[in-house]
Amino acid sequence: MSDVAQQVRLLNDFSVQCVLIGGFAAFLQGASTLTRDLDICYSREDENLVRVVEALRSVNAALRGAPKEIKFVLDAQTLKRGLNFTFVTDIGDFDLFGEVPGVGDYSECLRYSDEAEIIGGNYRVLSLEKIISAKEAAGRPKDLLALPELRAILETRRRNKRTT
Amino acid sequence: MDKVEYTEEELWLIEPKPGTAAARARDFGVDLSLTVGNLRLSPEERIKQLDRYLESLKNLRRNLRWISRASERAA
Repeated sequence: MSDVAQQVRLLNDFSVQCVLIGGFAAFLQGASTLTRDLDICYSREDENLVRVVEALRSVNAALRGAPKEIKFVLDAQTLKRGLNFTFVTDIGDFDLFGEVPGVGDYSECLRYSDEAEIIGGNYRVLSLEKIISAKEAAGRPKDLLALPELRAILETRRRNKRTT
Repeated sequence: MDKVEYTEEELWLIEPKPGTAAARARDFGVDLSLTVGNLRLSPEERIKQLDRYLESLKNLRRNLRWISRASERAA
């Protein structure tokens, strides 16, 4: 099983309330671009923060790209004080977003998500429309590169809806 | 060799009409035949395909032996 698939299963194993976003969500929505990391927008309810921490600890998560001198304690309090985090884990890179630019927080992501049954569980996946909004808002070169294909898929999907 | 048959809906991506998002994607350099191939799969099948692809890449990298490298030849 690939790193990303293991990460997705981890979320289900620990009942983490989240919406799959980013490249993996785009891949699930039909984009042909491959991804190796997993981005999620997570609920910041206290109980969920505990579940997120338990899940991350089980795969030895460490803060990615942070200076060595920065002391980082992975617990619910730390997550509560921050918002977005990037981790390296035993099963690959894992990025947590409390808010997604162009979309909003977990409740907004949930509102604009589709449900998918994958890897033996049910997951919420950010809608194609909102993936496009997020990538437009992020505006990094890699996001802008993904946009033409995503817009073409959305256009085709809307057209097919009209004709069926 | 067999030719891939496309449905009418898929042809909107394979042979896009001018002015559409699909035409812009094609002109941008996106290979929309790959997109169509991916859209034919369910999300679960896409993940399985991704698994197989990443596994084969890992094996390839594991078995890779450089015979010579341009940077060494240039030195």
